[in-house]
Amino acid sequence: MRLMDTAIRRIKNHPGWGFVCGRISALEGKLLSRDFFQSLVAMTHYDDILQHLQDSFLREYLVPGAPWEDFTALADRCFYDLAVSLRRESPSPAPVNLFLCQGDYLNLKNALSGLKDFPFLPGEVSLESIQAIAGGNLADLPLAFHETVSTTGTEASEIVRTVTDIVVDGAYLRHLLFVAGQIDSPLVRACIRDRVLTRTISVLWRALRQGRFLKLYRQYFLPLGEYSPTVDEMIDIGNPDDWAAVVGGEVGDILGEALQWPYTEQVSRFELLGVNHCIRLAADGRLQTAGPERVFAFLTGLHSEMQNLKLAVSGRLNRIEPTLLKERLREVYG
Amino acid sequence: MSPEWIEFGRGLCYGGAGLAYGLAGAGSAWGIAIASHSAAGVMREKPELFGRMLVMIALPGTQGFYGFISAILMMTQTGLIGGSVLKITLGTGLALFFVGLGEGLALLISAIKQGEASAAGISLLARRPEAAGRAILFPAFVETYAVISLLATILFIIFLTQPVALQFLGS
Repeated sequence: MRLMDTAIRRIKNHPGWGFVCGRISALEGKLLSRDFFQSLVAMTHYDDILQHLQDSFLREYLVPGAPWEDFTALADRCFYDLAVSLRRESPSPAPVNLFLCQGDYLNLKNALSGLKDFPFLPGEVSLESIQAIAGGNLADLPLAFHETVSTTGTEASEIVRTVTDIVVDGAYLRHLLFVAGQIDSPLVRACIRDRVLTRTISVLWRALRQGRFLKLYRQYFLPLGEYSPTVDEMIDIGNPDDWAAVVGGEVGDILGEALQWPYTEQVSRFELLGVNHCIRLAADGRLQTAGPERVFAFLTGLHSEMQNLKLAVSGRLNRIEPTLLKERLREVYG
Repeated sequence: MSPEWIEFGRGLCYGGAGLAYGLAGAGSAWGIAIASHSAAGVMREKPELFGRMLVMIALPGTQGFYGFISAILMMTQTGLIGGSVLKITLGTGLALFFVGLGEGLALLISAIKQGEASAAGISLLARRPEAAGRAILFPAFVETYAVISLLATILFIIFLTQPVALQFLGS
């Protein structure tokens, strides 16, 4: 009942999205079920796995002789190609960019770290711009970086050299909030807000576990829109056991649930629960006939499917126990 | 009644006829466009489903015909097409104007909503082609109210142009 209420309140029809959503209707039939993954992780022979994958989106990418070591790259390429194709047919690129911009920020991380290798598929920022940034031209940095620079009053070049990871993670999450704000959809904005919040908690939690000073995050990770005061408070508290009350809502509940797990599994469990929560939230978009929610929901499902495939195939190739893999499988769209 | 008032009544009647087919036609075009967008997207992946989608694309087009039928009926009953031209009183003209307007609005909205229902049915068909029979029911239900609107309009036109009604509505 609550689900229906949420969906009806958050979704309205946008006929301009009819074409791309019609295509998605046809593509949705190819998404894999949970049973598919359950049987995939139980397989032991490469030939069986290969045969099983013939029913998936990867079929066209599984050419004879393709090395299994490249499976992750292959799955990423499959997702990327389909997402770019949907972006071309969408009235607005924003819902697709929410997924493709991750590659940009991973490339930017490399560029700002002084690396010359940019292996991630570009979303909105061209490889030429990334190369220019790597060459020291920081004026080409996306807008989300400029906020950190103006807030801290520090020169960009100085920031990025010292705390690249923190700055890039913060900029990436700000970018997500910015792009979601451009989409006329409360559902997408709600999903992205929760995704940003879960990712922020996970970043801070991992930083604590690595013994890093959270003070740096206040300076270089923020601002983060409406979450800045929450993050500030979490940094002040410093103990994840007490964060759930500050975070509140469903994400706070997820955090509380993750804390019930053994110490070593808490963060990864929280990340999995957080991702599953966002997938369930996005799945409301399936009720949309034509609109950005449908594109967002489909790509969320496809992204989850590719992550599950990478986990299952790479896990089996590395002889990881099926029970362990099953535990780590994400929610599926179907 | 003076001839000016009779002419004004006649004008209102034809205005109603114009609204009936104009709004209905616009709604049909809009509804078909909504369903076509969706169907074209499905055909990008599954061109073999074109035949099964065709009925659902065409369904919102029926409202345009209903509006046209009503407009023709108004013109024949008042004698503009064939027969002798009736003396349309102001009351009759006003009544026919609102009959046409009411039908036009009902057909406009039902055609758009039928287009959306067809698009939803096409989505279902794309995902589960075996559900084609059930998918067509959704827009068909919307059609019911367009048909009721047409029937009500026909009855109104027939009764309003009877000599008794003309006498009752005349002054």
